[in-house]
Amino acid sequence: MIMPSSSVEKRTADVIIIGGGVMGCGAAYQLSKEGLSVIVLEKGELCAGGSGRNAGGVRQSARDVREIPLAVHAVQNIWPSLGEELGVDVEYVQKGNLRLGRTEAHLEKLRGLVDKNIEAGLCLRMATGAEAREICPYMSEEVIGASWCPTDGYANPFKTAFGYYQRALDHGAVFITGVTVTGLGKVRGKIRRVSTDEGTFEGESVVLAAGYYSRAIAETVGIEIPVEREDEEVFVTERLPPMFDQVLGTAEADFYGHRTKHGSFLLGGVSGLQHFTSNHEGHPTEAYTAPSLVRAIIGFFPAFANVKIIRSWSGHFDTCVDGVPVISAVDEAPGLTIACAFSGHGFGISPAVSIAIKELVMDGKSHTIDVSGLRYDRFTGSAD
Amino acid sequence: MTVIVREKSTDSFAPQAEDDMLVCRCEEVTQGDIRTAVHAGLRTFGEIKRYSRAGMGLCQGQTCQRLVRAVVAAQLKVPAGEIGRVAGRAPVRPVVMKELALSTEESEGVDDYAE
Amino acid sequence: MKRYEMIVIGAGPAGLSAACAAAEAGMEVVVFDENAKPGGQLFKQIHKFFGSREHQARIRGVKIGENLLADAKKLGAKVVLGATVLGIYKNKEVSVRLEGEVRNYKADSLIIATGAAENMVRFDGWTKPGVMGAGAAQTLMNLHGIRPGKKILMVGSGNVGLVVAFQLLQAGCEVTAIVEAAPRVGGYGVHAAKVARTGVPLYTSHTITRALGADTVTGAVIAEVDGSFAPKPGTEKTLDVDTVCIAVGLSPMSQLADNAGCEMVYDGAKGGYVPVLDEDGETSLKGVYCAGDVCGIEEASTAMIQGKIAAAKAACELGYMSEGAFAQKAKGYRESLKKIRAGMFGPANKGRADIVATDEGYPLSQSLLKNGFIAERETADFPTFTYGGGTRVVIECTQNIPCDPCQDACPKGCIRVGADIALLPTLDASRACTGCGLCVGACSGQAIFLINDTLEDGHGTVGLPYEFLPLPQKGTSGKALDRSGRELCDAVVVDVRNSKAMDKTPMLVMKVPKIELGRARFFKVLEAATSGAEEGSVL
Repeated sequence: MIMPSSSVEKRTADVIIIGGGVMGCGAAYQLSKEGLSVIVLEKGELCAGGSGRNAGGVRQSARDVREIPLAVHAVQNIWPSLGEELGVDVEYVQKGNLRLGRTEAHLEKLRGLVDKNIEAGLCLRMATGAEAREICPYMSEEVIGASWCPTDGYANPFKTAFGYYQRALDHGAVFITGVTVTGLGKVRGKIRRVSTDEGTFEGESVVLAAGYYSRAIAETVGIEIPVEREDEEVFVTERLPPMFDQVLGTAEADFYGHRTKHGSFLLGGVSGLQHFTSNHEGHPTEAYTAPSLVRAIIGFFPAFANVKIIRSWSGHFDTCVDGVPVISAVDEAPGLTIACAFSGHGFGISPAVSIAIKELVMDGKSHTIDVSGLRYDRFTGSAD
Repeated sequence: MTVIVREKSTDSFAPQAEDDMLVCRCEEVTQGDIRTAVHAGLRTFGEIKRYSRAGMGLCQGQTCQRLVRAVVAAQLKVPAGEIGRVAGRAPVRPVVMKELALSTEESEGVDDYAE
Repeated sequence: MKRYEMIVIGAGPAGLSAACAAAEAGMEVVVFDENAKPGGQLFKQIHKFFGSREHQARIRGVKIGENLLADAKKLGAKVVLGATVLGIYKNKEVSVRLEGEVRNYKADSLIIATGAAENMVRFDGWTKPGVMGAGAAQTLMNLHGIRPGKKILMVGSGNVGLVVAFQLLQAGCEVTAIVEAAPRVGGYGVHAAKVARTGVPLYTSHTITRALGADTVTGAVIAEVDGSFAPKPGTEKTLDVDTVCIAVGLSPMSQLADNAGCEMVYDGAKGGYVPVLDEDGETSLKGVYCAGDVCGIEEASTAMIQGKIAAAKAACELGYMSEGAFAQKAKGYRESLKKIRAGMFGPANKGRADIVATDEGYPLSQSLLKNGFIAERETADFPTFTYGGGTRVVIECTQNIPCDPCQDACPKGCIRVGADIALLPTLDASRACTGCGLCVGACSGQAIFLINDTLEDGHGTVGLPYEFLPLPQKGTSGKALDRSGRELCDAVVVDVRNSKAMDKTPMLVMKVPKIELGRARFFKVLEAATSGAEEGSVL
């Protein structure tokens, strides 16, 4: 039974985690499993920010080399058995990722991505239009080539986040929702204090995993994270009979998506205008986004023409200036670990990130997975 | 936003007589599914919807929303108004993709009285 | 992009009233409605409305709908049907699916009048074919001419349940029972009474526990409930029905308001999540208004006024009406709203179980609340049940309902309600009743009877409202039923009055023994006269 209460009694723990998304829940799980006491603070409801507005791609391909160790570790070592570990069906399906091109320029771009990824040790290749259609026969002749990473896939972000949440509860973690963090503070040389609209919390360590809102919180202790919001929309189709299981993307990012275990397709993207017109508040969808996505999708997949859309939603990425996250302990503010700015591709690596956070909190460094390229101070010059 | 403290459940899940009865007919979610979600620690409609799919179907919760709230409120012993709602999202009625693809910004008004 | 001065979403009573008011003020107005037919619920509402003349009392919903549409056309408001609004975006941009494509329009002002949807209850078998909303049954009957079934169980005794039960009877269905979980009938006593006197049993403190049948409904189990609405073991009764109609209230269809970004609030008394509104119906978004059931479940009469207020405010904002003119109009509308919201069923008293007497101080009929009909011993509590010494009307109106057509109907001024239309009608004994029967046809609650006790052979006549087909002819013999629908005695039709002024509520005059004049309230044609040929046309 959960304990509905407006009187918050527990205010100290080994670790205070800010953010109740998949990152915060994952970190809570890993840390509480190690026997640490954990309090998670979330301003809204659980799994409602980026984790709750998420298409669920689990992709290694087309990532920056600095992220690839996380992606590869997650896909090779965690995702296949995560459902078993958490005791929930995370709906992980590993049937590959096709990134589609319809012009020679697209193919050029895709080849560049493939080459870089191969260099980073990833197994993927270019496929011709015909090969791509053999993998996914629903594609139109518009597709003249694609990158193909057979080990990519997708999972259910809600099930994953809630799975971490449930098991973290089992290990004694306490989650408090409806609490907005207003700032961090140092106590005797370490970041320990977390101020909120519901009073102060204190931990031996603090993990900041609050998506875009991490920026303002980090600023209260003089740490700048160059991140901004970028709105994205996803829509959901009616439940369909099995068609194909590959995760789709395009060289031009016209749309992305896949079929879920439930049978509906999740299809997402942007119109291009949104970034300059949205005030990012309240998650409104735009009148022109879904039609522009739909036109692109029908061009690539004519069979979708008669499929019904039943819902759409909007959310924002926490996009970093260089497109990769910050996953880092903060040297100048000991006790603080930051995991944010995932730039729209955090979910797939979240199981690996949770391990990196645990190690950063407990040992000051991530030894299982190399996250050295994701330091908080990489933006302004030498970290050394 | 109400402050909710969530801690490890000490009670075991107690099945009820009507647990196999449908609550959300679009997504075939039963009372037991909803109660399981609550027992697992999900508290708001948004969380329960994401966990169980209740309210995610063709009617977007118009039919089940009240029923789900009642089950959750009974389980948590809180007023129904504290559970929250299924967000009203476009399209509020299902729309076929090709119709949406033909979306236009009309410069002319509509024809008079279509009946 | 085409921008209208006003876009109205929903061509029901609120939307059409708003459109007419805005067009009349000079605005360019378009109304979008997803249905193939306009009017919202109005075109299904074949019963006469309550209220006063200003609320279109005594006029059937369907006629009010026709009038509103004609007005809209005359005033130049466009009504576009088959036009589904899919979303409301920023800057009051509206996406509309129309003729196989999606078109976007903008508006200077937007009125969301999307109405409500029916609530469901859960019981074993609630998703079986044959279980449907009462409103859905009403749509089948009144819009499509299809009987929803032969034998019906109605779940819920609010006005929707009672009115639809009566319409099912009018359509030739058998209403096996009405069950109500609460200990009191939810809707107007007069609606319950007109159903009860045909012989339909009304079980308060009862609920449906199961719909029987493998693929479709072949029966239903009902049971008595305790104070916390849990079925009492051992009280189950199995009913032979093929259809279960659910009338357990409505929920506002407020998704579009939510989608538009209007601030929303949960209000159980209003039926669920509703937009937060100011007194003119404006939402938290400037220029976006809501009117009708989407703001909280009420009557169509209320919705029409809400629509007019919102439209007037929008017209004022856009310079089509001066502040002063708006203030004056709004004052009138608000007074009219106050009148129609009065009485024991008004929003202020909704759900109250502690009202024990009328505003006049008469004890409420407990039998009417429990069983749907007034017990004979209770009739003495009210002054309008007395008759004798000639032709007199008996007005069986015992609850404070905002309604006064009876006082307008009487050409001799015998019936008086007064300015507070929720008060019970009174009879002026000094004025002579001519027995014209116009009040019998005018009463929206079908609660007025004309009694004549001057026949010499130990008999008298009862004139009663009779809205069933075929209309019995003079000389038809049958049985007189009492208020509970129990057969009392033989009766014969001696007169049928069906003037235009009665608007399809004819008065049937039946001859019964004098001793039954205080009890006989319905006429049942003998079985032999109706069965046979007509049976084949059922379903």
